[in-house]
Amino acid sequence: MSIDSTAVRSRFADPRFWRTPELSLAVIALIGFVALAIATGGNLLSAGTLGAFFRFLAVPIVIGLSQMVVLAVGQMNLSVGALTGLCAMVAAWLMIKAGLPAPLAVLAALAVGLLAGVVNGLLVVVTRINGFIVTLATMTIIQGLRYGVNGPDTFQGYSAGLRRFGQESLLGLPLVFLVALVVAALVAWFFGRATTGRRLLASGGSPFAARLSGISNDRSLVIAHALSGLLAGVAAVLTVAASGSVNSSIGDDLLLPSFAAPIIGGVALAGGMVSVTGTLLAAFLVRLVDVMQAQFGINPRWIDLIIGAVVLGAVLLGTVRQKLQSSPARSARAPAPPSPGPATDNTGSPTDTTGRST
Amino acid sequence: MSVATVPEKAEETPRKVARIPLWANPRIGLIVLLILLVVLFSALRPAFLDTRLTLVPLQSDISVYLVVGLAQLMVLSLGHMNLAVGRMAATSAFAMGLVHDKLGFSLVPSLLTGLVVGALLGALAGLIISRTGVNSFVVTLAMDFALVGLITILYTAVTDGVAFPDQPGGMGALRFDTFADYCAGDVCGPRIPLVVPFALVAALLVGLLFRFSRLGREILMTGSNIRAAELSGIPTKNRIVQAHALSGMVAALAGFLLAANNGAFSASLGDQFLLPSFLAPVLGGTLLAGGAVSVLGTVLGATITQVIYKGLNLLQFQFDQLQLYIGLVLLAALSLDRVRHVIASRRGAKL
Amino acid sequence: MLVAEKLVKVFPGVRALDGATLRVEAGSVHALLGENGAGKSTLVKLLTGVYQPDGGRIVLDDEELHLGGPTDAQAAGIGVVHQERNLIPLFSVAENISLHHMPHRRGVVDRKRLHEEARRCLGLLEVDLDPAVPVSELSVAQGQLVEIAKALSLDNKILLLDEPTASLTGDEADRLYAVVRKLRDSGHAVVLVSHKLEEVFAVADTVTVLRDGRSVAEAEALSGFTQSQIVDLMVGRAYEKIELAERSSDAAAVPALRLSGVSTSIGHRNISLEVRPGEILGLYGLVGAGRSELAKAVLGLERITGGTVEIHGRPARIRTVGEALRRYRLGYVTEDRKDEGLFLEQPVSRNVAVTVWRRLAKAGLVSDRSERKLTDQWSESLGIRLASPLQLAGQLSGGNQQKVSLAKWLAAECDILIVDEPTVGIDVRTKAAFHELIAGLAADGRALLLISSDLPETVALADRIAVMSELRIVGELANDHDYPRMSQQIIRMIHAETHAETSS
Repeated sequence: MSIDSTAVRSRFADPRFWRTPELSLAVIALIGFVALAIATGGNLLSAGTLGAFFRFLAVPIVIGLSQMVVLAVGQMNLSVGALTGLCAMVAAWLMIKAGLPAPLAVLAALAVGLLAGVVNGLLVVVTRINGFIVTLATMTIIQGLRYGVNGPDTFQGYSAGLRRFGQESLLGLPLVFLVALVVAALVAWFFGRATTGRRLLASGGSPFAARLSGISNDRSLVIAHALSGLLAGVAAVLTVAASGSVNSSIGDDLLLPSFAAPIIGGVALAGGMVSVTGTLLAAFLVRLVDVMQAQFGINPRWIDLIIGAVVLGAVLLGTVRQKLQSSPARSARAPAPPSPGPATDNTGSPTDTTGRST
Repeated sequence: MSVATVPEKAEETPRKVARIPLWANPRIGLIVLLILLVVLFSALRPAFLDTRLTLVPLQSDISVYLVVGLAQLMVLSLGHMNLAVGRMAATSAFAMGLVHDKLGFSLVPSLLTGLVVGALLGALAGLIISRTGVNSFVVTLAMDFALVGLITILYTAVTDGVAFPDQPGGMGALRFDTFADYCAGDVCGPRIPLVVPFALVAALLVGLLFRFSRLGREILMTGSNIRAAELSGIPTKNRIVQAHALSGMVAALAGFLLAANNGAFSASLGDQFLLPSFLAPVLGGTLLAGGAVSVLGTVLGATITQVIYKGLNLLQFQFDQLQLYIGLVLLAALSLDRVRHVIASRRGAKL
Repeated sequence: MLVAEKLVKVFPGVRALDGATLRVEAGSVHALLGENGAGKSTLVKLLTGVYQPDGGRIVLDDEELHLGGPTDAQAAGIGVVHQERNLIPLFSVAENISLHHMPHRRGVVDRKRLHEEARRCLGLLEVDLDPAVPVSELSVAQGQLVEIAKALSLDNKILLLDEPTASLTGDEADRLYAVVRKLRDSGHAVVLVSHKLEEVFAVADTVTVLRDGRSVAEAEALSGFTQSQIVDLMVGRAYEKIELAERSSDAAAVPALRLSGVSTSIGHRNISLEVRPGEILGLYGLVGAGRSELAKAVLGLERITGGTVEIHGRPARIRTVGEALRRYRLGYVTEDRKDEGLFLEQPVSRNVAVTVWRRLAKAGLVSDRSERKLTDQWSESLGIRLASPLQLAGQLSGGNQQKVSLAKWLAAECDILIVDEPTVGIDVRTKAAFHELIAGLAADGRALLLISSDLPETVALADRIAVMSELRIVGELANDHDYPRMSQQIIRMIHAETHAETSS
């Protein structure tokens, strides 16, 4: 869903709709799901298996969105995984050691995420250092803090209510998964409808043009990082609720999936576009492969191999699609600018644009 | 050995060029920081200066992570990244173990096989990047995923699943010996581990590559401005492939050195490479933008990182706490570098 | 109403504006004219807050303005259509039009008002575009119209249009100018920057002419001038006095570079031209005529789909720049030296030697000494002023940068040079020296293809002039260096072509 005002009206009549990467992802996801359901003799559709399937889909979705938000402004956030771990540890600590009620602990976890995100954003804007490096540094710092909360020990036996929330289902779907869906809908709404979200996308799509239209790119960067941190906080809350115990290794295995979901989902690293549906579907696909592995006792390492291959495939497909789309647009009247060489230098902050003199 | 970052050299020029004052040279700052750290740690824990206990393993560690940093530096020169550096190292190390285990290769042919495998993996990444124009971050990330799966599968298929049972002769010597163990008559070498020369030679070669060779210079020019490079007759696509191939090859060497240090070709090799691979060059003043690299800075960056790890370790900090301080040092160093840069350019503007 | 007094703007190496003054009255259309590099776009960018002036002041309705950024200019009621396209590709037409004041209800974009506003602004231009379409799917001309609609969406007191019709058809331009007149009649002030004098004379009331960053005519009534008087003001008399040494080229010699019936993937059709050793062929045309693209196709950067390219009489298939350079000794001095010509963050010595490392290298290694020797040699013969060969290219002045960009091809011993807009963004004072230099290159026996949008420059330098328009060669003239006659003929050629096109 590259959200745009084109929506609704004639969505299906529009040939563009049929070319979206989301559609192909949806088809693959559906086929995969049905195939797996058949292969497991319907076992996948049993309440328990299905519940687990969606329960452990919640965190990958939210963490993918967390990365997607910064990708939208052409940045990266390497600290998402570590930050999720830190927020989870803080929430657990507050409940067990400080004796705070669960709702307050949840709010605190979200606040920590938001704060860390704001710090990331401010560092990027103030120092003008590449976001990759800044979040690399804050990632290591946050890893240290995460460990500092409780050393190597595990927190468990915190708020029964929160844990019940993690296990509860509504209409056959786990609550945590529904929360993730609501969050996804909010993010989609934010980028599609909210003026702030649109400004973020404008900054990511063309920083100089955005600046000419009175948009502060610095502000966009800080907001994007803050939002990314907040979403990492949400992922932390879902983790605390669903897993029942947390320790300092939480989040270590989230960094790579956080990139995999949006990238497979069709989000460009250069910034300027988001795809919530794509990210959701990609997370779903990854989870599907995960379950397949568990069902058939495949070496879990095959999963990584497959995901890696799929990302590479998606990347190649994206390039091919772009080439196909751009070629007829080259009108004879206005020669397109020649594009020698790959555009691989897009990791810089979008504020580094300078106008050219006459 | 510091390459292409001209400011230091530009001091010779009489006017117009902003003079970079001595204190603004990032390398000097790193050396000062290094000295301070060593003094601090030795004061807190005299054992820090113990040769056998601390200094010898420290040198081995620095060697490994210097080479890891160089592997990343190879592609930073283009403004690219190699997120698969750890996995390229591990896959190459697997190849080394395999040819020894199955074909009975000795040390040198095994090492060479590994280097070739590393170079091929890197070239594959470079090929995909240069042909599709997709960001190197995405391509090497995906490659990392793919290789991490492949490695375990391979180890499970060929060995007990974790590591090769034995290694080529000579690996043990690389692990335990220092030059002090080799004497010519009464004269013995210094207490320097045997792996150190590998790293130094690698650093020298990489320095030479970027400083003097046509290939290295053309890679830097490609990183500096790919359109101008293309229009100056540089085959930029080939240069991208070559830089990535070299990155893979250097990563393979790092894998070999770590295997020597650990005493085994194991599946988990290189798991910890990613962060240090960026730390060393970035601390040393190499930017992600491409077009300029500093090999000397990478040496200093790797040294400082390992000194901090070792020092805090002696002070009985836990591994994860070390991370906190490393991150802070990185952030502080980068911010200071920025401040220095701003001040220097302001002064330059007034001249 | 708006007075910009004695504005100064200095870029590294160039004084883009040197005390230019602009006075604009409400209810008038004011033309801002000048040659390429005279400072028009810089002036526009100062007035819209993109750049901050280094001297002078801007006064609007008796109140001095300090424009810290584009937002300040908008708040002051100054709207603009810049020469470069500044749209967000994935956003819809409607959103781009209202980007600076997105209609919203409590932070939520109000789609209905957004589309109403877009329809209103597009309606003013009588353009029929779906406001919901993303601008990435529009043609260049449509994009330009969206930008103009965007500028209309704010009720600006002053509207600056920088080359608004560069990519529009005659019909679209007419509609735009109808809107401009409507705005004027309702009391707005419009500042129009354009190369197309006919359009300017048709629509503008007053005129300011810039030359070398200064205003040589300040807010004078346009009706007092003829077109050629304006051109004289823009160009200055100084030009005609340039005397270049006589050169002679052997008309019977085998052409060094010859294109016959070449067509390219960009859309060039049936391009034929030839340059002999010792000769300068001027390739004149307006911006966007496809001249640089032709050069790049010859270098192998774009596909040649038909016809033949001959180098020194032998058919050549050039696939890469490296091949052009080493096998055919054909060099291309780009028009865009910052993005394509130079490595700004690298030392001058590397910028010069980059094309010849292959030759300088011994066993794959290049010594600094050989590089420095080469740089010294060429900086001396081209008169590049360097503090040291290790100085960064980005620290040089525009003229010296251009010489460095040229030096690498001379170092590579190219005997065929395609020189693209060699004096864009260069002070007029250094311009003359550059012209001598280019003439000298030809006198040494090189074959030069000079691509230029600078008519006086083309007439002063070229032996023959080929005129390109809309990806075709529309004519070729022997140059007798008589500027008034040559310029008339050339402009007539371009116009004959465009008229033929619009009538067909």
